[in-house]
Formats: sequence, structure tokens, C-alpha cells
Amino acid sequence: MAGQPTSAWRRALAHWRLAALLALGGAVAASASCGKVGELALAAPDAAQPANFPAMVYALDKNTPDPATFELGRRLFYDPRLSGDGTVSCGSCHQAAAAFAHPGHRLSPGVGGQPGARNAPALQNLRWRRHFMADGGVLGLELQALAPLTDAHEMDLPLANALARLNADPDYQRRFAAVYGPGQIDTPQFLRALAQFTASLTSANSRYDHYVRHEAGGELTRQEIKGLAVFNAKCRSCHATDLFTDDSFRNNGLDRAFARDSGRAHITSRATDRGRFRVPTLRNVARTAPYMHDGRFATLPQVLAHYDHGVRPSPTLDPLLRQPGGRLGLPLSAQEQAGLLAFLNTLTDSTFLADARFRQP
Amino acid sequence: MRNPRLLPLLFGLTAATALLGGCRHDSDSQPTIGAVTFALDNRVGTQPLALDGTAYTTSGGETFTVSTFKYYVSNIQLTKADGSTYAAPGEYHLIDASKPNSTSFTISNVPTGDYRGVSFVVGVDSTTTKADPLALPGDLNPANAMYWAWATGHIFLKLEGTVTSASPSKPLVCHIGGYRPPYSAIVTAAPSLGGNPLPVRADRTPTIRLSADVLKLFNGPNTFSLSTFPTTMMPSASSVKVAQNYAAGLFTVQRIDAN
Repeated sequence: MAGQPTSAWRRALAHWRLAALLALGGAVAASASCGKVGELALAAPDAAQPANFPAMVYALDKNTPDPATFELGRRLFYDPRLSGDGTVSCGSCHQAAAAFAHPGHRLSPGVGGQPGARNAPALQNLRWRRHFMADGGVLGLELQALAPLTDAHEMDLPLANALARLNADPDYQRRFAAVYGPGQIDTPQFLRALAQFTASLTSANSRYDHYVRHEAGGELTRQEIKGLAVFNAKCRSCHATDLFTDDSFRNNGLDRAFARDSGRAHITSRATDRGRFRVPTLRNVARTAPYMHDGRFATLPQVLAHYDHGVRPSPTLDPLLRQPGGRLGLPLSAQEQAGLLAFLNTLTDSTFLADARFRQP
Repeated sequence: MRNPRLLPLLFGLTAATALLGGCRHDSDSQPTIGAVTFALDNRVGTQPLALDGTAYTTSGGETFTVSTFKYYVSNIQLTKADGSTYAAPGEYHLIDASKPNSTSFTISNVPTGDYRGVSFVVGVDSTTTKADPLALPGDLNPANAMYWAWATGHIFLKLEGTVTSASPSKPLVCHIGGYRPPYSAIVTAAPSLGGNPLPVRADRTPTIRLSADVLKLFNGPNTFSLSTFPTTMMPSASSVKVAQNYAAGLFTVQRIDAN
């Protein structure tokens, strides 16, 4: 920065800041443990690795979970002052009872009621994500919040203005100081605190989870087990692992052309990525309607009907949706569809959906 | 000393001995280092850039105003006559025409000597722009509104204003960025020092005074008319063309102050 210290200076300053932070850390830890017992009656969720999940992607040591920061993140998540006109919070379009999707909204209204560009996705198991957004344009959980915050059709608030609002609020000043020490609330503090909340949204206690972990409450009906077999045969190659996504970008045949939203190609500028979108998880899928990046399908039977006979051809259509005889899609008999629907309902994690720790403070 | 002609010779020998001694000494401790100051003068043709609604005219006779002009200067490299180079590590500077104190900066730890060439990236290298910006200092912070939240990466150069000769007048929006092929807009500028040395000494910090001419965004290897100048808010073929223009001609060395 012009007129600012050189890099050597900055390094020296950084060392002093670290020393100051370490010194403050002790004081903060002491005060947090004394003064906040009542407020922290709801402990933050733990950051454990569910036994049936692949290895966690998120580096916990870069933003070590702690109750005070989680609580701060929860307040930020539900605070409409983080939108341009003070009407829209993260929680407006990401509702806890719907696994943080937006029930009943194909596209969600942002400030001034303008519709966003894509369907608000569910927020869950974000510690296992390598990239974010339906096009994978964002490379970290902390950064992800910047997209809706600054998008003119969503919260429409420049980051600098968000920081100014936080810095002008005595309650936020106190809460940030308790976690990060005194001084201006800055970008890393703001985004790390918010990410402590979003990172904690782990859903791993559906009936299916108990079933695969051989735990109590893990009984599946014959119909559900049949559905699981169909799922493994016809859906698992994309909705892989117990995260129910392989984190790849695929064209699932929604359209013949993608003029309005080119998906992954919007980020890579490659024609071969046109119409590809990230494979979404199916956890809590019975609660996260409507479906697809543009919310075009209102129900799960509509989704299954699409795969059975609605897939449209285009140069980037996923090869798995081209059958040997030239037929497109995944043939699914009525019986198979009924089984799949039964199975998909076992992915509903009622404990997660009802968790009071994730609700508006 | 009878022969006065020996004086310079003796003096020269003494100096050479001292210098050689100095070199030997230096080679087993710290090399001698100095600093260089960069001062940028944002202009529109022959006029200073003002963000107050002043109208400027292109070579094609079109008029426009400027409300925002910001760009990154990074990866600065200095070259000596013998071809040896010094690449300044960790230097990322956001030049913002609305902030006078942002238009000059000093890099330190430059080995002393006479430099004959300078180059720098107008923007941010891909490694840094892909890095976790929460770990990035000062000028690279996303709060500077030079960051694409939707694609994880910095905006390298931002020009905003109004094309007033268009009827009706239309917004001038030019956000250049992107590091992924085929639309990587990471370009290097190497304005000529005009054969003049940039003398870096332990006790002297020379200033290299550069002008940055907004008109060169439209006029260079690629020519744009303002009436058809594309609104650029994501990596594209036209953003690469604008970047080629500013790499080629945005910067001119006005002069070097030895100081």
C-alpha cells in the first residue's frame, strides 16, 4: 500500500500483532469462560467426523471451532443489517427447517424483491466441500459468504459497508473483541466468524446414517432397502459416498442450450463445461424442494420423471445419461421410482432440521 | 608527488582496492541494498485524471467521464545492463485514483546498482489471487472492492464512468480480471526507461515517475470505440483485448529522479 510500510516492516508488524494476540488470547479465554455461562447454555456443535463420511476437506486449524465464535456467526447469519436495505439476512433464504434451503421458492427474492440468479441451495456438510456455488466458482467456505453479500440481486452490500456497520454496533464490537481481541472488526474476523456457523451445519443422523453405521434407530423397511438397491445401481455414480455427491459438475439434460445460465462454463469459459452444474447432495432432499439450479421441479416425483423420460440432448450431456440403445436418461419403472422415493425419505435428518442451536437467536 | 598525472591513477587504484575490499566483505555478509519509489500519475491524454465529472475526448472524438480508476501493480522486476534481475517479493499495490496516498509506494531490499529496465504485472499473479484472501494483507483484501466474490479472484483493473457522447449517455464499465485460460488477463507492462539508468544506492532512493493514460485502454494493439466498448464484468475475449492494450501502452516513464 502506498505510503505504507515496506514488506520488512509489515513482517515486523505481523510479529508484534501475533505477540499481542497471544497475550490477549489468555485474557479473552479467561473472560469468556467467566462471563458467558448463561449465553452459552446451548453449546456449539462439535466438529467430529461422522464415521460414514469421506475425509473432511475443511482445515479446522485455520478457524478452530469455539462456542463464542459460533454464537457470533449465528448472529451474523440471521442479521438483516448485512443487506443493503436492511431487509434480507442469510437466514431469509436459507431456512433451518428445510436444511437451509428456501421452501416454496424457485428463486429467492433479494433486496427490493429482485429474484436471485439461482435456487437457494441447502447448507449442510460444508466442511466436506472443495468448491462452492452451483458452478464451483468459489474456492473456500469463508469466501462463499461474499457472493450473496455483495450480489446486487441478493444482499447487495459491499464488504467495506458491512464492516463499517459491524464496527458501528456496540454489541458486535463487544462480541468480536471477546473473540479476536480489541481493534477494528476486519474482513478475516467477519468471514471466519460467519463460517463458524455455516461450517457447523453437519447432517449425519438420518435413519439411513444409523442404518449404515449399524446404530439403534437404523431400521429400513423392505421398500426402502429395495430403493437403496435401485439408488446404488442407477444414481450412486454421481450421488456418490454418504455425502451423496461426487462434487463434480455434470449436465443432467435439463435443456438443449444454456444461454441463460451456462453453469460451470461461466467460471471456466470452456465450451465443454456449458450446462454443467455441481452434483448436489441428496441429504434431507425430501425437505429441500424445489429442485435443480433454477428450482424448476417442485417435487421429487417430477425429478425422477425427468431422469426417466425428460432428459434433453446437448453436446455436453453427461455420458451416463446416454443409454447404449441411444435412449436418453435413466429408465426407472414405476416400482423403482416408488422405491427410490421411499429410500430418499430415509435421508431426512430430523435431529438436524430441529436443532435449536441453528435457529435464529 | 612529482608527476601530477600519477595522482588520478593512484586515486583510482586506492578506490579500486577499497571497492574490491568492500566487495569481498559484502560477499560474506549482507549485500548492499537500497530502495526504489514508484510514483504514478493517472492521466487522460495530456490532462490529469479527475473524478469530478470532467469530460475527456478520445482520438475518435467521443467524450466520457471517469468516476473510478483502480489497478494493481505487482511482481515488480528490475533489470541491470548485464541482464541480471531483481524480482521484488511480496509487493502488491493497489493504485486508486481517488486516494492520492495510494499513487506512490516504495520497494525496499533492492540490491544497489544501475538498473536499465523495469517490468511489473498489471494485476495479481494467479497463485496469489487464488490464495485464501483472508490470509492476504492490505491492498489484496477483498474489502477493497477489487475482488470477484463469485469466481474467487481479484479484479486487476477497474474503470467506471459514463460515455457522454452516446445518446442517451451510457455507463462505462470495465472490470478486467481472470486467471484461467483462455481468458487470462494477467499481463506484464515493461515501460522503457529511455536508456536512462535507475541508480539504486544504499543512501539514495530514486523515484521512477510513471504516467498512466486512460485513453490507452481503448487505443493500442486493439482499438475500441466508446460507443461499442463492451461492458466487461467477467473474463472474456474482450477483457483480454483491453488487457493487451494496457500492457502495451498504459504506462510511460516520465522521468527518473535520482534523489
